[in-house]
Amino acid sequence: MGSFQFYKPKGVEDLLKMKAELGERGLILAGGSNLLVYIRNGIINEGTFLDVKNLKPLKGIDTSNGKITIGAGETIREILESAKLREKIPFFPDSMKEFANPLIRSKATIGGNAADASPAADTAPPLLVLDTETVIGSHRGERVIPIKEFFKGPKKTALKPDEVLLRFQFSVPEAGKGVFLKFGLRNGTAVSVTSLAAWLALDGGKAVDIRIALGGVAPTPVRAINAESALKGQKLNEESILTLSEEVEKDLRPISDVRGSTEYRKDLTVELLRRALRKLSGTEAAL
Amino acid sequence: MSERKLYDISLTVNDREVKGRVKAETTLLDFLRSNNFTEVKKGCEIGDCGACTVIMDGEAVLSCITLALQAEGSKVYTVKSLGTWEKLHPLQKAFVEHEALQCGFCTPGMLMTAKAFLDKNPHPTRDEIREAISGNLCRCTGYKKIVDAIEAVSKREAE
Ligand SMILES: Cc1cc2nc3c(=O)[nH]c(=O)nc-3n(C[C@H](O)[C@H](O)[C@H](O)COP(=O)(O)OP(=O)(O)OC[C@H]3O[C@@H](n4cnc5c(N)ncnc54)[C@H](O)[C@@H]3O)c2cc1C
Ligand code: FES
Ligand code: FES
Repeated sequence: MGSFQFYKPKGVEDLLKMKAELGERGLILAGGSNLLVYIRNGIINEGTFLDVKNLKPLKGIDTSNGKITIGAGETIREILESAKLREKIPFFPDSMKEFANPLIRSKATIGGNAADASPAADTAPPLLVLDTETVIGSHRGERVIPIKEFFKGPKKTALKPDEVLLRFQFSVPEAGKGVFLKFGLRNGTAVSVTSLAAWLALDGGKAVDIRIALGGVAPTPVRAINAESALKGQKLNEESILTLSEEVEKDLRPISDVRGSTEYRKDLTVELLRRALRKLSGTEAAL
Repeated sequence: MSERKLYDISLTVNDREVKGRVKAETTLLDFLRSNNFTEVKKGCEIGDCGACTVIMDGEAVLSCITLALQAEGSKVYTVKSLGTWEKLHPLQKAFVEHEALQCGFCTPGMLMTAKAFLDKNPHPTRDEIREAISGNLCRCTGYKKIVDAIEAVSKREAE
């Protein structure tokens, strides 16, 4: 074991100052459900914990002014139970029902989930579908980048060593609804193998707004741009859903360290997309 | 080699003040066990099994993925806070009556999860109970008897 120190920042400025001093040795400790597991497994063996668990400025959900803002320190449970979010965009809290189990949900934060950058991170597909912006802070100031530029590879993000995720922000789409589907190896504490979030707005039966994001099928969570362009403007019925969903195959990229063969994940993703589209287009009942 | 830094810590466990000096990376689980609260079970140590669950400031918490220093100033309760042999807590009684334990390894964690859950949601459905304990693994009972026991307590309290 290397050596660890512990520090509880008194505010964001203090946190950013410490992060500037320590760089990668500054280990931001939110829920600890990734970080403390990495330490236990010997993957990380030195550094200074910067305990942000109760740091107020990283907390908070705001839904005023047509924009949704979620602090990086909000737990999955807080998001799931947020009445404000449920009122404005039930899709988002509903997506969190798939996340592990209540014990993990009350620890795990949305910021920790994104910063950990697992290709199968459960908050990622819903955040991608909503064109979320991440607000990043450092002693140099704040910058805003789209979530799709935030994920760089398995366990790699756009965060520089002195940067901290502060919050997420997105606008509620004008029309439509969303769904998140996940296929995991084990219920309860499963880290998902394949997941899919979709948002659909129909006009006269045609998909006028279609957004699809995938987890666990590429080195980062991704938008399924090929499937999206195949579906855009199309009339959705059982037949078009069956055939057009195949297009999502072009959006998959191999990841070496994820269980499940490529072929299997392809079939699974196509099937998840079909289910999502049936649900969102209301053609499900006809089956 | 520089001296390893130790940190002072003070919290209450089962309403008793406990003080100590810990390393930064010492988990709440290890801290509790080294202070003779060995009723808190050490299972997977990576958040997977729920054996180490305690109640911290009213919430069920996995002590193996919580640092001791994060519990500074907190009120922590272990399964021993529930009842005694002479006077068992309704949950403990129900677990015995419904044979909701075999080897008993998962039980301390399971009981604390159930306690925190019923405190918040006294009259849950069976599905809600099943969901509430889904982070506590039991290799022996197959869960049905555990759900039965928790449900029995919730029904009893409703009367
Ligand atoms: C049993 C178990 C089951 C799990 N199941 C799931 C699951 O179903 N789905 C899923 O997606 N994940 C799952 N996970 C993984 C984990 O719980 C999540 O990724 C969680 O969201 C991490 O959040 P945290 O607050 O616990 O992160 P921490 O462990 O505190 O931090 C994770 C990483 O992010 C960094 N970090 C944290 N906050 C910030 C910030 N504000 N700015 C910059 N960096 C930051 C940390 O330094 C660390 O590197 C599971 C984990 C366990 C142990
Ligand atoms: S020992 Fe803590 S969850 Fe298994
Ligand atoms: S009784 Fe043996 S693990 Fe639950």
